[in-house]
Amino acid sequence: MKRKTGRAQARTTRGKRVENKEKTRRAILRAALELFAGKGFYHTTTKAISRKAGIAEGTLFNYFETKEDLALYFFEQELVEVIEWYERDRRVKRAALAEKLFAIIHHFLERLAPYEEFIGAVYLRALAPASKLSPWSLQTQERNLRYLRFIRGILAEAEAAGEFPPVGDFGAYAFGLFHLAIITYWLRDRSRGKEQTLALLDRCLKLGAHVLRKGWDW
Amino acid sequence: MGLVNKNEKSGAVARGYRLGKLGFRLVGSYVGYQAQNLLLGEGERAQRRARFQQKASRRVRDELAALKGPAMKLGQLLSMQTEMLPEEALRELANLQMRAPGMHASLARAQFKSSLGKYPEEMFREFDPEPFAAASLGQVHRAVTRDGEKAAVKIQYPAIRSAIENDFKLLRSATLPGQLSGHVPAALLDEIQRGILEETDYLREADNLEFFGKGLSGLEYVAIPRAHRELTTDRVLTMSYIEGETLSDLLKRKPSQAFRDLLGARLIEMYETQIQRLKALHADHHPGNYLFQPNGSVGLIDFGCVKRISFDVSELRRCYRRRTWRESEASARRFLALAYGRSVPYARARKILPLLEQWCDILYPQDVTADLVIDFRGDPRLESKLKEIRQQHRKRVLQDKLINPEFAFLMRADLGLHYLLRELGATINISEVWRRVSTAPAVGRHGCAFRAPPKAVT
Repeated sequence: MKRKTGRAQARTTRGKRVENKEKTRRAILRAALELFAGKGFYHTTTKAISRKAGIAEGTLFNYFETKEDLALYFFEQELVEVIEWYERDRRVKRAALAEKLFAIIHHFLERLAPYEEFIGAVYLRALAPASKLSPWSLQTQERNLRYLRFIRGILAEAEAAGEFPPVGDFGAYAFGLFHLAIITYWLRDRSRGKEQTLALLDRCLKLGAHVLRKGWDW
Repeated sequence: MGLVNKNEKSGAVARGYRLGKLGFRLVGSYVGYQAQNLLLGEGERAQRRARFQQKASRRVRDELAALKGPAMKLGQLLSMQTEMLPEEALRELANLQMRAPGMHASLARAQFKSSLGKYPEEMFREFDPEPFAAASLGQVHRAVTRDGEKAAVKIQYPAIRSAIENDFKLLRSATLPGQLSGHVPAALLDEIQRGILEETDYLREADNLEFFGKGLSGLEYVAIPRAHRELTTDRVLTMSYIEGETLSDLLKRKPSQAFRDLLGARLIEMYETQIQRLKALHADHHPGNYLFQPNGSVGLIDFGCVKRISFDVSELRRCYRRRTWRESEASARRFLALAYGRSVPYARARKILPLLEQWCDILYPQDVTADLVIDFRGDPRLESKLKEIRQQHRKRVLQDKLINPEFAFLMRADLGLHYLLRELGATINISEVWRRVSTAPAVGRHGCAFRAPPKAVT
């Protein structure tokens, strides 16, 4: 009996520890993002982040070794948020496929908007093959898979409803690449309110839906 | 979504391709037609011309309908101005409206936020994510403001301005042969581009609403939307909602002739007040822009396309009525400069006068003391005679390069009003309306109730 209670206690303690760690992690991310939005990515020091998050500077490195790790965590959190938002939004869930996909990318971009400079800096780094942020790095695979499954689920629904011919898992990969391309365009878009991105996104998705429905005969 | 045309061709490349194709085909077949003309007898020519016009109008209609974008309006204006097309096709073109691609609810919301910084549901008490009407360059949504007032919110398709600028670059190349031959003057393209780019600025349209709202306030039956400035940007226009039904819906209920005549006279009075008193004209006489109510009030909406009138329309009318060109060469020169612009040489312009005589004999009786009454139900004999003169006039204008860019928008408006009155089938004492307009107390001119219409966008 006693031993069992001890084990259970150990489990709760460990659970609590994990929970606390996650809390600190989020606090650091929040502090970092706020500083990035205010001072910019390059002008934000680790000292400033740790001070704002209320931890010692040494502790910061226990959580995030580099700014890249911070970025990885940021994107993970964003993905979780977008999936949750999609599940909650009944209007978008009922919409046609092109609108759903539009809404997903747009929601992403809206969330990224305050941290544009940070994303821009991170994006450049992700191009290096050795970077943890590279789409091929093992660290990003778990997140990529979650993203691909999420998109695949939406495409499968549309396939089942006969909205367009089956494209299988390939469709999710293709959309993922398109998503990256749009973020790149968005980062470079200097039009007011980034309306060029909206137009491009809309036109590409309509064209894509059209091609899938009718083939290349246009 | 219903608004998204399944056959829509997106992207500048596809639009450019279509536009180029259209330009080359039209110019190509026009050149071909002129070349054949040299070799054919008069009878054959007429047949050929009819065939060319039929083919051309079909092409223009199909291609323009597929283009949908700003290029469509451009083609519409161009073909109406150069008057290459037969009456029937012109009528259809007059009814076509420039349509941007439809926006689904998510895009409309996104564009609203991109322009105003917040989502519509954060700024209105109610907002219908589904549009209830297509507008030039965008679409219109129903909404209720925080104060509980019904509103119409016009949202522009994103980045339409740069799309239009691209279309114009393409059109200028596509119509190069026409520009070189002088049949499509560059000034006409400039005028059309100016007009269309103006339509992309909804702040300007808000200014127009204010200007016409005040300017037409003397006509108690006119309803014009009021802009909500705090909810308006250059790409989103929030205005009060105007109730009413379209003309075709109204006609379904078979209104009495007296009611038709009343509405007809009112339409002309509105038109004349604009061109004579305000010196500015709501130039988009699409039937959907008029909303009628059972009590005879007339709502006028969509002030994106406004034409400032720089010449004296009543002077032109006086010339027509009195045939001033007969008096002396000097007055003939004056008249032709007024009608076709100063740049056209007198010797070339003079050739149009015999046709105008015929035209005036029908429309403007010699007896200047008698009232001018027009039955828009149409006397078929007179109609066909008018049609014939119009066609000859068209040919002359094209051959002698008498195209006047100043008239591009005015003619479109004129034609639009004409078809509206025909559909209404009203009989109107035009002289009486003219007298009423010219003796009405000046609004604004003395009281400074309104500013001059806003300057052109360059």
